[in-house]
Parts: sequence; structure tokens; C-alpha cells
Amino acid sequence: MTSDPKLERTIDKILNQTEVENLSSLKKSFKESLEILSKSQTSLEQEYDRIIDEGKKEAQKIEKQIIGGSDLESRNKQILLVEDSVQKVFEKAIEKIRSTNRDDKYSKLMAFLLAESTNALGTTDVIVYTNSKDKEIVQPLLSKFPDAEFSSDTIDCLGGVEVKSKDGTMTFNNTIDARVDRMKPLIRKDIAKKFGIGH
Amino acid sequence: MSKQGGVQYNKIAEIKGPLVIVDDVENAAFDELVEIQTSDGEKRLGKVLEVGNGKAIVQVFEGTTGLSIAGTQAKFVGKVMDLPVSEQLLGRVFDGLGKPKDGLPDPIADKFLDINGEPMNPEQREYPRDFIQTGVSVIDGMLTLVRGQKLPIFSGSGMSHNILAAQIARQASVVGTSDEFAVVFAAIGVQYSESEYFRRSLEESGALKRSVLFLNLADDPAIERIITPRVALTAAEYLAYDLGMHVLVILTDMTNYAEALREISAAREEVPGRKGYPGYLYTDLSTIYERAGRLQGKKGSVTQMPILSMPSDDITHPIPDLTGYITEGQIVLGRDLFRQGIYPPVNILMSLSRIMKDGIGEGKTRADHQEISNQNYDAYSRAQEVRALAGIVGKAGLTGVDLKYLEFGDDFEKKFLSQDLDENRTIEETLALQWDAVSLLPKNELTKVKDKFIDQYYKER
Amino acid sequence: MVAQGRIVWVSGPAVRADGMSEAKMYETVSVGDAKLIGEVIRLTGDVAFIQVYESTSGLKPGEPVIGTGNPLSVLLGPGIIGQIYDGIQRPLKELSKKSGSFIGRGITTTPVDMTKKYHFIPTVNVGDKVQAGNILGTVKETDLIDHKIMVPPDYTGGKITKIVSEGDYDLETEIATAEKDGKSTILKMYHKWPVRKPRPYQKRYDPTIPLLTGQRVIDTFFPLAKGGTGSIPGAFGTGKTVTLHQIAKWADSQVVVYIGCGERGNEMTEVLVEFPELKDPRTGKPLMERTVLVANTSNMPVAAREASIYTGVTIAEYYRDMGMDVVLVADSTSRWAEALREMSGRLEEMPAEEGYPSYLASRLAEFYERAGRVRALGSPERDGSVSLVGAVSPSGGDFTEPVTTHTMRFIKTFWALDAKLAYSRHYPSINWMNSYSGYLADIAKWWSENVSDEWFNIRNEAYSVLQREDTLKEIVRLLGPEALPDEEKLILEVARMIKIGLLQQNSFDDVDTYCSPEKQFKLMKLLVDFYKDGQQALKDGASLVDIRAMSVIGSILKARMEVKDNEMDKLDQIGQIMREQFKSITGVKVSN
Ligand SMILES: Nc1ncnc2c1ncn2[C@@H]1O[C@H](COP(=O)(O)OP(=O)(O)OP(=O)(O)O)[C@@H](O)[C@H]1O
Ligand SMILES: [Mg+2]
Repeated sequence: MTSDPKLERTIDKILNQTEVENLSSLKKSFKESLEILSKSQTSLEQEYDRIIDEGKKEAQKIEKQIIGGSDLESRNKQILLVEDSVQKVFEKAIEKIRSTNRDDKYSKLMAFLLAESTNALGTTDVIVYTNSKDKEIVQPLLSKFPDAEFSSDTIDCLGGVEVKSKDGTMTFNNTIDARVDRMKPLIRKDIAKKFGIGH
Repeated sequence: MSKQGGVQYNKIAEIKGPLVIVDDVENAAFDELVEIQTSDGEKRLGKVLEVGNGKAIVQVFEGTTGLSIAGTQAKFVGKVMDLPVSEQLLGRVFDGLGKPKDGLPDPIADKFLDINGEPMNPEQREYPRDFIQTGVSVIDGMLTLVRGQKLPIFSGSGMSHNILAAQIARQASVVGTSDEFAVVFAAIGVQYSESEYFRRSLEESGALKRSVLFLNLADDPAIERIITPRVALTAAEYLAYDLGMHVLVILTDMTNYAEALREISAAREEVPGRKGYPGYLYTDLSTIYERAGRLQGKKGSVTQMPILSMPSDDITHPIPDLTGYITEGQIVLGRDLFRQGIYPPVNILMSLSRIMKDGIGEGKTRADHQEISNQNYDAYSRAQEVRALAGIVGKAGLTGVDLKYLEFGDDFEKKFLSQDLDENRTIEETLALQWDAVSLLPKNELTKVKDKFIDQYYKER
Repeated sequence: MVAQGRIVWVSGPAVRADGMSEAKMYETVSVGDAKLIGEVIRLTGDVAFIQVYESTSGLKPGEPVIGTGNPLSVLLGPGIIGQIYDGIQRPLKELSKKSGSFIGRGITTTPVDMTKKYHFIPTVNVGDKVQAGNILGTVKETDLIDHKIMVPPDYTGGKITKIVSEGDYDLETEIATAEKDGKSTILKMYHKWPVRKPRPYQKRYDPTIPLLTGQRVIDTFFPLAKGGTGSIPGAFGTGKTVTLHQIAKWADSQVVVYIGCGERGNEMTEVLVEFPELKDPRTGKPLMERTVLVANTSNMPVAAREASIYTGVTIAEYYRDMGMDVVLVADSTSRWAEALREMSGRLEEMPAEEGYPSYLASRLAEFYERAGRVRALGSPERDGSVSLVGAVSPSGGDFTEPVTTHTMRFIKTFWALDAKLAYSRHYPSINWMNSYSGYLADIAKWWSENVSDEWFNIRNEAYSVLQREDTLKEIVRLLGPEALPDEEKLILEVARMIKIGLLQQNSFDDVDTYCSPEKQFKLMKLLVDFYKDGQQALKDGASLVDIRAMSVIGSILKARMEVKDNEMDKLDQIGQIMREQFKSITGVKVSN
């Protein structure tokens, strides 16, 4: 996948800002999961006493089950907490992108997205769609693609373009939303790594 | 191939069976992952089976029900299907395509692995040698399972294969090590109750936290079954070769897998092989079963225990037949034994573990293991012949030795073969039971055991 | 000019490319951006149909296809022995250096180490006339193999104008030049040969020398000859691979080519682990020093599986041409036939029986035709042989399926494996009633000259006991054994002893795994003597119960495991005890 350095940089910056807040919330979550673990240990002890005379074999089996179960429970809790943080970072990132200045750099990014899309479709005989905000930026860029047509219909997205062949058989979705979506699994890993989780 | 992926095509030429044929496709690769979007926005996954001359044939995993020529869109994603893997897979439940089914988010990936895997270089394999003690006498004694082996259970409808597999998953251990097995369980078109039995069994033994479950149940899409064993094995390979775990993979029921394959082949109008299964069924199955093994320089291992139900209990049916040609032996369950209430109802004569010889013997189990097991096979086979004969000529027509064999057969089935669901026998107990059984026979009958072992272990009964 | 086209269609291992009018049939081509290796198998207009030897996952229409100008060939020279190759002679060890534990794609390597130096001893001089097949010199390839460097078979002949002196050279060294009509040709220690083309020889002999395998049921009952053909069909788990492994281990040939064609990875690993440790019973050297493996396991690309058979047999012919006896075992020819079927299906050819292409039979015939004992090309004079043994894996164990039936037309030794025997753990499960050997009469002379002139008669006596038992079994099945008179019960008893004590052979027992010709004969004779003495004892008034109770029976039945090859006198002692025990049972009766 072609990763776009500009976009990545933006995301990276946002990540660094949100990192601090999230780290503290994550620490809290770890504490919570530790608590769950210790709570389940006391419950384990009570349980253990109750069943001690029900035969050793049975007791061991249940012990295993409870330890296994509580391990899993706190691990799952942790997964959810990490996911929460990741989502928060994403939301922040998207907010940031939504409010990015439509400046010169942004216009270059749009030119890049356009070129990539026509390349993927293998034709410049296309119709280009954007959201209402990007209209003024993208429309002038089309001068480089004489066959391309700009659609007056707008689409709902953060930014970027969606390009359709004129015969309507092919579409290439190169909106920022689609790109973020495509990169999400990789970004999630990065974020998690920043929190020191996973590998 | 990743470079130019992502184009969405919407000229659908034909939908037949599980296939969607897309026209005017300029940019698609063989095997590429495809996202199908229905007219009402639902997304399904598929892959390219054939591409060229402007057409792509796409196999839709979730089936084509509800798809229409107009409004359906196919996005060629630009990569093959992959599975996000990390240690976090453990303790999780996924659907047959590898999507979370337990309400938790996608695992945060350490890597993304192509679910088809790549063929192991035979030169890089480590030959399997470590004895796995399952605690089930008939397996440990006569059909020994070895780390890195692929040993299927051939069963029939309604028999106790799942109970046996679950018992093995609970009890399997390598004597003298503390390594615990991780279990990867793939349900392929089985009933909820069967898969739930398995899950509970893992939970009760505390093994759930080192297990990964992939569930395609009977009412889940059939074509998804093509993927389920592959995602399961991809997870297993990651756990084994990246994390160094010993993984036991249980795939049940491979018959449903083969049926899904047949459905696709029929839709492609390929020349059918035996019973309508495609001619490449052998090769296709091998890309699943051959993913068992060990690798030089890697700590972990992938041991496979596929389960399949033989249609009409027929072992020559293409599915068990081609499986047997690929796996390293087979555990065959017998209808007769099952009817008599014997558990586990293993028909030892039709069963075989090919790597047994390398996992047993001096320093591993015991020096006499192979020979005493050969002797039990031999005697049980004789016992079966004599039983058949007795059915015709009556006991009166039998010689004295023949009668001893009859006695042996009953004793073998009752004391050695039969055991409880949670009875975990040591290998010493198992070997002792084998000697007990043959000690019913006169010494001269023990032609498969060297004299020195007879002197040591035989006690005429 | 080489062909330069573009992919227009991909489906699994099959690819179509256009712009290929320059391509030749069976030319190898580089396919796609990943440079996968493929072979042209059909040409229509400018469209080439290509089978690709590597996984085509991710291949796209529009990617380039470039011809190499050469047919699929193997490199022949020192360094082949001890290797494990894939179906197109890529060394798996080298592949692993480049792609790790799993086989990557688009990797090229040389089949042997081109930089390794061998000590070359020339045997020709400047001015000598040479022609195809002449030996230029020798190098020591392994402790067991004196590798003859030969003039390639397609060289038309000439005069040596240069030859290096004795010394260490690598494969790319120009060791000699030959000249004819002013045109000089450089000769190196290797040459290439197209795999689908049999290597030429001067003449062919009838096979008369047994290929000894150390397996009793084979050598004694259904022998193979050097330069002969054999086939071993059987359902899964009946013992094909074990038997082929046994042949590869113990056959008295100088070179063994083992082809794992669409079978298990672990079985190849097993050979790789075992063979370096096992010693050749005749030379005491590790077996790996005479073995070449070609491994295209079931999960490796099917097209390369199709090629693996040809790669293997061409290597075998090359060593034959040096004057060696080579045995090639192929496990399993059914998987090769299935690869043919799969490609044929993708070509949309008209299928014959069970979807196999109509040319299945002719391909099988061509393969087995490459066996033979021959006088090699060139001088000095030398004879070599290629023996071919193929496993067949009939679906459902049904011998009437096409691969088995067609194979039977082209082979002379047939070892029919029997699932019932395998279930009852009678190994090797070669059924003695359905198997046959067309070489028996021809090789009897060798046995009589080298082991015993009684061999042929004793063998036939032992076999007739088995035949008689087979008919008696029907009666027993209906009436029980007690319904038979003692003479016939004796036949059942002796047949049982022949089965346990002679036909059965445990490959995994240190002693039993290999049985010398002498031991084979002595065991067989002991059993036949037992039968004769038993008949006599019955005549002299002994009962079958007495005979069955003789303690010597246990020793006879275990002799295959308990008596080593260098302890033949122990067999004589058992014979002695047997005669004494017979005497005593008849003696007891007489005194009664
Ligand atoms: N001569 C023998 N001695 C001892 N055991 C044997 C012998 N021959 C076969 N066996 C047993 O039978 C098993 C199966 O044999 P083998 O692997 O050769 O079968 P196969 O015919 O090659 O099966 P497949 O077609 O599935 O590859 C072996 O693992 C071994 O346990
Ligand atoms: Mg085999």
C-alpha cells in the first residue's frame, strides 16, 4: 500500500499529543485490571475452602478453571481498555484532519490522491467527487486531466476524492476516510505500541 | 500486488452458486481478496479464482444469497486474504473467517499473515520425535501421537469423536517437560452443541486461556468453510513458530470442508472426479494437512487432529480416502464397538500411527513398546478372525489356542481399550495393560516380541 | 529472439500469455513481475499456455512473460549426489538460505555448487579422438562415487586439442577443448540435458541380474531385475513408502534416485535424517553418499510435481551412462498422473477415464521405457542400468482405476499391496497370490550360480504351499479348521509359518530390516524342510497336535529377527533341533 508521508506525519503528530492523556488513562486501566485479578484471588480462596473436602481432583480442576477464567477476564478487560484508548486517538486524529487548513500543502495532497486514483483505474476519463469543502481545491486541479469531469454532487467524507470511470464500471475511493480505514490495522498496532502493549 | 489495489467494479456479468463473475476488470490478481458490497450496503468477502480477458471469477465466502446483478460492487483489495495475529489471539473466539465473535475488538496485530501459508521446505523440517502422552491407552500404546504429526479421527455420524478429541486436548502432555499445549479449535460446519461441548471442556480444564477458537457452525455460510481451517492454521503457525508454543489443532468436520469445495467446483463446471469431488481435492487437502510439523531452529510445533465423518461409514469414500493418503495415519472409530458402548470405540486394525515408531522406544517410552504393541495388533487380528469363525462353526470347531484368542479379544476390549472420559493413564499403566492382555496367550504364540522382553514382562495367566 | 509477451489470464498454476509467437513448445519462461518459472505446454496463434512451477498467487494479467529459449533441462555434473532438489532441480537447501523455513518464489539458484573444486584426473590426451559419451576423466564425487566426466551425448565428435592436467578445478573450468572441421568446442565438467528427452545409449540388454533389495518377499518370490520395471500399488497406509524406502536403502545399486512426487514432507525429512546415518551393507559408507532426492511434496506447486519425474529419471540416466546401476523409486506416480490431469483440465482438453487425459497411458509408457540395462555411448566400454519402481495410489484402493491398469501394461514386476494384510499387520503387505514378476526365470540362474542350485525348486515348493493354503482357506471359512485331515492342517500350519517367518519383514527392526540372499535362502529352506519332515512325521504316526507343540517353531519364526546375517550357523543349529524334535515325536508314537 502506498502510504502517504504527509498524512502519516499528521497522524503521528496527533498521536504524540494525545499520548500523554491516554497514557495516564491506560495506567488507570491497568490498575483496575490488577484489582480485578486480586479480587478474583480472594474469591478463589473462599471458593477453595468451600470445596476442599469435595475431593482433591475436583478442587484442582476448579482451581484451574477459576485461574484460567480470571486471567482471561482481566486480559479481556485490558483489551477493551486499550481499544478505548485507540478509538480515542482515532477520534482525535479525525477531528484534527477535519479541521486541517485547506492550504497549499493540502492541495498538493489532493493532487497526489487524484493522480493515484486515475492511475489505479487506468484511465483519466473519469468523474471526480469531493465533499463541499474540498470543491474549490480539487476543481482547479482537474485542468491537468482534460478528460476528467467534476461532479456537482458532493459526497460525505473528511476529505479527499472519489473517482469513477465515466462508463460507471469502476470506482476508486481515495477519500481520507477510506485511507484511514485501510491503514487502521497498522495504525492501531502503532498506537498500542506507544502505550507499551502488544509487540 | 499491493500497489494498485482498491478499485471497485460494478459490472457484474453473472452470479452462479457461490461465484460472482465481474466484467471489465482491468486490474485484479489471481487469489486477490475481494470485498463485495450488496445493494443495501452489506459487505462480504471473497477471492479471485480466475482472472483474465477482462473477467474475474470471484468466490464469495459468505455466499451469494441476496446479491443482485445491479447494485452489487466488487472491490479488489490489492492483497491476499490475511489474518492479524498476535499473542492476543489466545483466549479468543472468532468466526470462520477470523473476525471476533466474542464481542471484543479485532486483536491488535503483531503481523498480518497470508492465510494460505507457504509450503514448508522439506529440507527445513525437523523430523517429529517427541512422544505426546494423551492418557488414552489405545492411542499411547498402539497409535502413539507425536509432536508435529497429523493424525485424523475417522468417525461416523453420532459417534464419540468429539469426546475423544476433547479428552486428548485436555490431557495431552509431553512427559518430562512443563510445556503446555496451546489448542486451536476450528469448527467447520458443526452443530452449536458440538462446538460448545468443546469450548466448555477447554474452559473446565482451564485451557481456554491458551486456546483459540474459530467457529463456523452448521447455520453459518458454507463457502466460509474453505477459509476456516486456513485461518486456524495460520493462527497455529504463528503461535508455534513465532511464539514457540506447541499447538494442537483440531479441525472438525473436514467432510463439511470438502463439501464446500465440491460446491465451488460444480459452480465452475469443472470435470468432476470421484463422487463429484474435484480432481484436485487431494492437492487441496494437502495444503491444509501438510501445515502440521516442526521446523529446524524453531521451538514450537503444530500437531493436527482433523476429524471427519465418513459418509455411510465408508472408508473408501473420497474424503477419508484422500485424507488417509496425506495424513500420517488415522484413528478409525468402529460402529460395532460404539454400539457395544465401548469408549473410545477405536477400531485398532484399521487405525495406524505412522510416526509412532519414531516417538517411542528406549529413552522415550520403553524399549519393548513397539514389539508389545505389534503383538497386541497381531493377537487382536487373530481374535477377530476366530470370532468370525466361531460365528459359523461354533466354539466346538475351534482349537484350544483359538479359544485363548477369543478370551484375549474380550479382555483387550474391556480392560485395555475401554476407559473413562476423564481417566488419564500413564504410559507405564498402558504398557502394563498390554502385557496383561497377551499374557492370556501361551508363550509360544508371542512371535512378535523378542525373548528377552518375554522373560522380563510376560506372566502367563 | 526470445519471446516477450504479456499475461492475459491466470487460473491456479495455468497462465495464458499473448505476444508469444516466438515461443517454442516446452520452452521455459519467466512469468510475471515475480519472475516465476514456467513452461510452455501449448501454443495457439500467439497465445502460449504455460504451466507455472511456483505459486501464482498475486499474478495479474498485463504482467510480462519472457522466454529463455531453452527447454526445461537439468544440470549434470559432480555435486548432485547427496542433494535434495525440488521438481525442477532447485536445491532445497539453497532455497532455504534465501527464503527460510518456507519456500519462497522467484528464487533462482544453481543446482550444484559451481565454485566447489573437484580433483580431476584426465584419461584422454591431446590428439585423441572423442565422441559422444567418451570419458574425459574422473573426479571423486563422494566416497562411493567415482564420477566420470563425459563428452555430452549430443556432441558429434572431434579431436582433443586441449586437456587440463590432473588437479583441482571447479565446474566452470574449461577442462578440455575438442575440434572438428575447424570448429572448436569447450568441454566442462558439466553439461545440460532436456528432461523430457531420454539420453541415448548404444544398445539394450535383457535384464538377467536380480536387483537385490534385502526384502524377502521381493527377492525370493517377486524379484526385480537390474534395468527392470516394477510397480507397487496399494491403498493408503498399506506400505508403499516403507517398501520404497527399503529399496532405496538396501538395493545393491551404486546410485539411488528417490522421487517424492506429491507425497508427505516428513517422509522426505525422514530420508534426509536417516540416510546419512545408515551404512550401505556392502561398502559400510553412509547411504546418503549414493542418494539423490527429488522432493516435490503434495503442497508444493503441482506443475513442478509433473516435472519431478523427468528431472529424476534424467539424473538416473546420467549416472547409468557412467556405467553404474541406478535404481529410481517414485512415490507416487499417481500424484504425477493427477498433476497431468489438473493441467489437462485447465487446458480444457477432452478427458478420458476419470478425467485423466487420453495421453496418460503413453506418458506412463514413455516413463517406464526409460528403464533398462544398456551399453553406454562412447569409450571405454561400460554397462549400466536404470531400474524404475513406481508407487501407485489408487483411489479407494481400487486396482481397476486408470493409473493402475495402464501402469500394469508397462511394468514386469507387480507388488500388489493388500489392505487386509496391512490391517492385520502383515508387513510388507504384498499379496502373494496377486503379485507377479516377469523376471523370475531370467534371474534364477544368478541365484543358482551365486547362492544355491536348489534355489529355484525350493522357492517353488514354498510358493506351492502358499497356493494350496489359499484354496484350503475357503473350506476353513465354511467348516472350520478342525474339519480338515491332518495333512491339510499341516499345510495351513506351514503356510502360517511361511507368512510369519519369511514373508513378514519388519522394516523397523535392526536385524530384520535387511536380509542377505544367503539368509533368505536358508530361512526358506528351513521352512520347506519343516514341511517335508512334517509330512513324513504324520506318515510315521505323529499327530498334528504334536507337531504344533514343537518348541522349535518359535525359534524358526523369530529367526528373522534373532539371527543376524553373520550368524548363519545359528540357522543350521535350529535346523538340527528341528530334525531332533521331529524324531522324538515320531519316536514317542512308535514306542506307544
Ligand atoms: N515392512 C514394514 N515393516 C513394518 N511396518 C511397516 C512395513 N510396511 C509398512 N509398515 C507400516 O505401515 C505404515 C504405512 O506404510 P506406508 O507409509 O509405507 O504406507 P503407504 O502405502 O505409503 O501409504 P500412503 O499411500 O498413504 O503414502 C508404516 O508407517 C508402518 O507403520
Ligand atoms: Mg506413502
